Amino acid sequence: MEAILEVDGLTFAYPGREEGLKGVSFRIARGERVALLGANGSGKSTLLYLLDGLYFSSAGEVRALGETLTESRLEDPAFGPRFRREVGLLFQNSEAQLFCPTVEEDVAFGPLQAGWPQEEVARRVKEVLALLEIEALQKRPPGTLSAGEKKKVALASLLVLSPSVLLLDEPTTGLDPRSQSTLLEILDALRARGMTLLTATHDLAAVPHVADRVLVLSPDHRLVADGPAEKILTDTALLEEVNLVHAHTHRHGSVVHRHPHLHTVLHHHHSEGE
Amino acid sequence: MDLPEWIQPGIVPPGRPAPPSGAASRTARRTLGRIVRASALLLGGGGTPEGFLAGLDARAKLLGVLSLLVASTFASRPESLAAAAGAAWVVALAGGVSPRRLFLMLSFVPLFGLALALPAALSPVTPGQPLLVLLRYPAGSWGPWRWPADLSITAGGLYVALRLLLRTAACLSLAALLTASTPASALWRALRGVGAPAVFSMTAGMMARYLELLLRAAEEVHLAKISRGGAKGAGFERAWAAASLGEIYQKTRRLADEVTRAMVSRGFTGEARLLEDGRFGAGEVLFLLASLAGAVALALG
Repeated sequence: MEAILEVDGLTFAYPGREEGLKGVSFRIARGERVALLGANGSGKSTLLYLLDGLYFSSAGEVRALGETLTESRLEDPAFGPRFRREVGLLFQNSEAQLFCPTVEEDVAFGPLQAGWPQEEVARRVKEVLALLEIEALQKRPPGTLSAGEKKKVALASLLVLSPSVLLLDEPTTGLDPRSQSTLLEILDALRARGMTLLTATHDLAAVPHVADRVLVLSPDHRLVADGPAEKILTDTALLEEVNLVHAHTHRHGSVVHRHPHLHTVLHHHHSEGE
Repeated sequence: MDLPEWIQPGIVPPGRPAPPSGAASRTARRTLGRIVRASALLLGGGGTPEGFLAGLDARAKLLGVLSLLVASTFASRPESLAAAAGAAWVVALAGGVSPRRLFLMLSFVPLFGLALALPAALSPVTPGQPLLVLLRYPAGSWGPWRWPADLSITAGGLYVALRLLLRTAACLSLAALLTASTPASALWRALRGVGAPAVFSMTAGMMARYLELLLRAAEEVHLAKISRGGAKGAGFERAWAAASLGEIYQKTRRLADEVTRAMVSRGFTGEARLLEDGRFGAGEVLFLLASLAGAVALALG
């Protein structure tokens, strides 16, 4: 199957700091749903920035849409605008992503940079806001929205460009359960449309909803696992090693239990067994 | 998890706690809160305006109010200026602007206007027939400057001061009509209608958005400090304010970097391309015509 994103021996270091990623390699085929798992500080966001052509590696290579991502390549009018349209990044911090004075202008920003006709931009903005059921927010300043609304607007600002690839940085973090569930439904519908989804998260409960395959980054910034979601999620030793689960102690009356804590996933199994 | 023994209610070492939040801390907290609320109001976060004025295109309102403002600077008769101020109030209130908001926006006008206008009423600034003598002293001169034998309010001065006060009131009432009925975001966008470059409009809009965010961050930092019980007088407050400026500056830089990445990620290359506004409807045309007619009457009257 055609690879839409390829990473080969990728190493990245922030200036004056230790490395953010070390020798990471993988490829993602068009239409795949992949989760990028890792504890805080493991390099998930950094990897997404590299895949979105916002950072550039000190060693190794990132290829997207069949082209190597370099600063000069992204400045090429034949490739740069196409890449920006086809690859969308949902930032973890919606405050940073929504920088225009109103929701409408924010959603229209990408298509206008792509040089689309004003009427087409206005039509798409209206339709994508309706799709995400946020048309009432059209004229609102982003600062007045709730966290869930901001996330939806940020997603609308990407979907309006009809991207092929969505890079999602902790999309469910900070959302209430209802907003989380709505967002996961939207992602499921996008997958059905053949969109490639790469979701960075440390929320194990969300993984089965957003991915069939999982990449795992270790705390020392290496890719330590790449496999089917159900296999990775049941590999407790691996998850404990990369700080995604932890040994957890709790009491039942006077009896003290100590076992790996898999958050929602294992708690669910416990309640079934008890 | 094995907790240290001292983590339980009431197990604390002897010590002298910091005094409860003092006046300086209270002042700092209230000031920050007021700045945040005021900036939210001015920057468009103070609720969506309602009424027929809010429904009008911001460009039409901006052009109409600008024409009236220019005319107010040419108007010389106090009656005309008073009529302009009164009309602005009537249109604002009839157009859905809340009286409270209008009052809050204009409450400083009398004081500010008097401070500006009062010197104009006095004999050294506007000589003439004295109406009320405030002070007597010997007349004299120093080089080219001469001063009269008294400090008094003159008839001519009173007229000039009244005109200045009414001109201030008219201009500020018109400005209040515009800003109270239009979200700040729409105003930034409307500036393009009077020839402001798109990049200016975009930058101003972003500045307004993030200024409010940073003020909130400053307020949160202060509340976090209070929550942990640290208020030790004015000196401490000053030291804290200086220290937190650094933290807020760091936050600003991080946010600015993140915003830049978000813009680049969506294809921004340095050229500001923004949504174009639609055409004026009948309401906008009527408002503009009425404003222009008012401006002509004001300037000639």
